[in-house]
Amino acid sequence: MVHANGIVRWLSSLNYQAEIVMPRFPKPWSKKRGKRNLGNSLAGEAGEVAFYAAVFLVGVFGLSLVLINEVAPESVAQVPTDALRTGLSTWVIGVLSLAALVTGGASLLYRLARIGASSERRSAIAKMAGSIEMLGPSADDGKPLPSVPKGSAITESPGERLTYRLAAEKTKASIAGPATLALLWSSVWFVLLAVVVSGFWYGRPRWYLAMLLVPFAVIGVWSFRFFMTQFRQHAGVGPTIVEISNHPLFPGRQYRLFVSQTGRLKLKRLTVQLTCEEETFYRQGTDVRVDRHEAICQVIFKERNVAVDPQAPWEQQLQLDLPENVMHSFVGTHNAIRWKIVVIGESQPWPSFCRSFPVVVHPPGLPLKRNPR
Amino acid sequence: MNLSLCHEDGFYRAGGNLSAKWRISRVPLDEVQGIEISVMWHTEGKGDEDLHVHHFQRLAENQIRRVGLADEQSIRCVLPVTPLSYHGRLISVQWCVRMRLFLANGREIVAEQPFYLVSDKMAVPHSVEAIKSPLSLPQSTDSHNEKVVVHSSAS
Repeated sequence: MVHANGIVRWLSSLNYQAEIVMPRFPKPWSKKRGKRNLGNSLAGEAGEVAFYAAVFLVGVFGLSLVLINEVAPESVAQVPTDALRTGLSTWVIGVLSLAALVTGGASLLYRLARIGASSERRSAIAKMAGSIEMLGPSADDGKPLPSVPKGSAITESPGERLTYRLAAEKTKASIAGPATLALLWSSVWFVLLAVVVSGFWYGRPRWYLAMLLVPFAVIGVWSFRFFMTQFRQHAGVGPTIVEISNHPLFPGRQYRLFVSQTGRLKLKRLTVQLTCEEETFYRQGTDVRVDRHEAICQVIFKERNVAVDPQAPWEQQLQLDLPENVMHSFVGTHNAIRWKIVVIGESQPWPSFCRSFPVVVHPPGLPLKRNPR
Repeated sequence: MNLSLCHEDGFYRAGGNLSAKWRISRVPLDEVQGIEISVMWHTEGKGDEDLHVHHFQRLAENQIRRVGLADEQSIRCVLPVTPLSYHGRLISVQWCVRMRLFLANGREIVAEQPFYLVSDKMAVPHSVEAIKSPLSLPQSTDSHNEKVVVHSSAS
């Protein structure tokens, strides 16, 4: 038993020694898995520095070749002067080399500046640089609220019924994309159809191409229907107007709201709600992804079977009660907390619509802004 | 490394004063190359981290030699009005006093003391759960909550 224990101890000591002696190959990259960072951060930084240095040097080499070739080809005997003398290719290589030189050099300097300084120190330096007033003090009279959006664009438009008319958040879906897709795809399909028809006409039928026309036609129909849906949404649903009695908003206070919907619509349901959304940006590989979560949703108004006529738009005066103990608006580099008033309409035969009107919520206990009216 | 706040419950009013005391023990003076103390907020959660230092103090090697490590040191600052502490599903805004000790062999020791920045009209930090359920006080940030992390940047 003692002997066995001794062997186990000897083996474990061997294993221990092996763990110490075995050199671990340093990975030139690091990964973020949730809150953990996999890999050595220094090795990752070294890998990035090496990569950008290589890009910079390739740029220097390429630009040198182009300059020698263009400016003084006779001064260096070793360089084959006709190697790059092909007109356009010389300039293409020159532009690419210059881009590599600038990108590599700037990225290299940026990475080098980050090495050896803690994240807190870098943030303090950035804060100090940001506090230098280049053009005198700012015109903002109010006390600055760090990380809270100013929302000055929201109060730029005066309202007709209430103090401010809120600006709608730009929708990502545009009609230009679906229209281009439908037009291009249809054009390609008709060109292919012409080729197939001409083949049959001259007695040389192209069967494979003729068979391909069927799935291509399905895609064409889908792209046209998608375009029509977007077009109906843009053309049929009139503008939504939201006005508010005061801005910015403070928790625990009441505000008057005016909502108007124009167009020719028969809505199955119309909802006006106040939402607070958490928004985060994170990198996954080379992609930047966005994740959103609706933290608070307060329904202000809900009505069924709403009829909207061009001569008589739907209008409603509402009251907005902002709850107490809610987080103020917050904007960081990768994270944000956004408040917005959302108008959702479920309509027939037009597609449903959802329009957002961002507002800014300040923390409680601050002096109110003077109302312009 | 010992880092303690002036409020035992860890709650600070927005725009109020914060003072913290720190002491380093069992580390030889000649091994310390620098000390950084920051009052800062950072985000936690699914997204990439945002970090902003509100108050920053760096003691270089010669300053540490002059001050020494035997006595307790303190920092003071006036806290900003925002961002207030928040605990959500995707995002958390966490305030803390962070101390970073740089050693001669390239190692770094980080100690962190979290606290809550709350508004005048509130007694608890903002939370999504607080809207849906009765308010609940978080655990007080006593000395047991202090986090110490050792980084080895020289390897």
